[in-house]
Amino acid sequence: MNAKANKNHVTSIEPAYYQAVTEAIRKEAVKILKDETVVGVVGYLPGRRQGTASPALVTTVEEAEKLIFSPACVNNLSVYLTKAKKGVLKQGKVGIVAKGCDMRALAGLMTESQLQREDLFIIGVVCPGVYGFGVERTGTLTEANIARKCRECTVHMPEGADVAAGTHTELADLTPEEAEEMARIEAMPQAERWAFWKEHFSRCIRCMACRQVCPFCYCEQCLCDKNRPQAVESSPRPAGNMAWHLVRAMHLAGRCGGCAECERVCPMDIPLNLLNRRMAKELKELYDFEAGLAPVDKGPLNQYKEDDDQSFIK
Amino acid sequence: MHGEHIKHDFEPKIVAFVCTWCTYAGADLAGTSRMQYPPNVRVLKFPCTGRIDPVFILRAFQKGADGVLVSGCHPGDCHYMAGNFHARRRFAAFRALLDFVGVDLNRLQFSWVSAAEGGKWVDVVTELTERVRTMGPMPEFKELEHEEQWSTFAEATADKSQVLNTPELKEAYDSIG
Ligand code: SF4
Ligand code: SF4
Ligand code: SF4
Ligand code: SF4
Repeated sequence: MNAKANKNHVTSIEPAYYQAVTEAIRKEAVKILKDETVVGVVGYLPGRRQGTASPALVTTVEEAEKLIFSPACVNNLSVYLTKAKKGVLKQGKVGIVAKGCDMRALAGLMTESQLQREDLFIIGVVCPGVYGFGVERTGTLTEANIARKCRECTVHMPEGADVAAGTHTELADLTPEEAEEMARIEAMPQAERWAFWKEHFSRCIRCMACRQVCPFCYCEQCLCDKNRPQAVESSPRPAGNMAWHLVRAMHLAGRCGGCAECERVCPMDIPLNLLNRRMAKELKELYDFEAGLAPVDKGPLNQYKEDDDQSFIK
Repeated sequence: MHGEHIKHDFEPKIVAFVCTWCTYAGADLAGTSRMQYPPNVRVLKFPCTGRIDPVFILRAFQKGADGVLVSGCHPGDCHYMAGNFHARRRFAAFRALLDFVGVDLNRLQFSWVSAAEGGKWVDVVTELTERVRTMGPMPEFKELEHEEQWSTFAEATADKSQVLNTPELKEAYDSIG
């Protein structure tokens, strides 16, 4: 994050860069599998269709030689180390390929004692960006096809990894779309803000994909599935939807690393990362906290200071 | 004991989530001291403000509250040492979220009322009730609660064809009878 001075500004990221990262990942993965540092590596394999990638756990050298990194490597792999997949860690130390934003999730999960640093071998990716959704996947990453979150990325250069694959390169002068959108919403009159979110939330089909893909939604029993008593209606109707989104944003406040996976998987195109960003901004302003830059003892909503702002309390 | 009762056009429903150790005792003191305050408030007692989940506030609004009060012990006085400090951070964040989605924060009041502050309880409740009274009913969450996706759409626009803009949707709508 503080490496701003060294960055290279370019107008497109050529496939050659990703190829170089791919080589570095393969080399490292093969090495740590061979010397039995790890029992497996969570990374990306080529997807079945051109221009896609799938998350995979590789356990042999042959498989490790097929690992890739490309702009199609959108998934945040840290989710594979939580929830049901926790079994992976029981076998021994695990390697994981992590972009900057995935590293934030790893750091957050360490903060929450869901992962131990010594159980991981992190192959950090110096990441110039990934594809947005619904764009043409030509191979060259440009301003036109880069993901929204990558436009404002502060973690191109992952910190705290065991090794880093790649050099520092990022696209020049990207418009910060999410920041602009957030400012636009904040400037709306209150009733318009309500109408804006109501419209978005009313389209939610409660598929819970946003929850399933989030590394921080690892609760064995989600509040939103509880029906005795029922805190949040679970059918896709307006009241329950509003409650679900507010609960989700609240539960992720101070934890969310901004990987925008929730937004990416949403079949209804609900701009969930705007809510995440808004909460992140608030916690930064109030408690000078940014989630996931490094593991910490406690998140901002699990601690307090006696002189915290209470101007809103009478 | 019987204060003058003014009849208003709109009687706001106020839900108060209070901690049992301070504010509940404060409200109790107000009662036993025969202090008068608007009868609009429904008090719900919790062990600690730290136990008051934001989802309770949402629930209150959904179920018809026009205003919500959350009140507990002054900083430093928490029976469980730090519950109110944690609640303070959580509610600061929650307020920002509600504001961002377009909820008027004037309907949501946080306060510290100790067991000795019967008078402050009266002030807080009176002020919130009167403020909400001038604001009028809170329609937002109630509407959500009442809405079935399609029936609302039909209500919202006289010409439902504008919203039900595909033959499939129209057919589905018509089939609900
Ligand atoms: S947000 Fe940053 S680290 Fe994450 S994919 Fe985009 S550029 Fe890479
Ligand atoms: S929404 Fe909240 S309760 Fe549900 S899984 Fe996510 S963090 Fe846990
Ligand atoms: S809430 Fe969304 S952006 Fe935040 S960590 Fe979870 S999936 Fe990523
Ligand atoms: S992924 Fe989208 S549609 Fe599905 S529950 Fe989440 S917000 Fe709703």
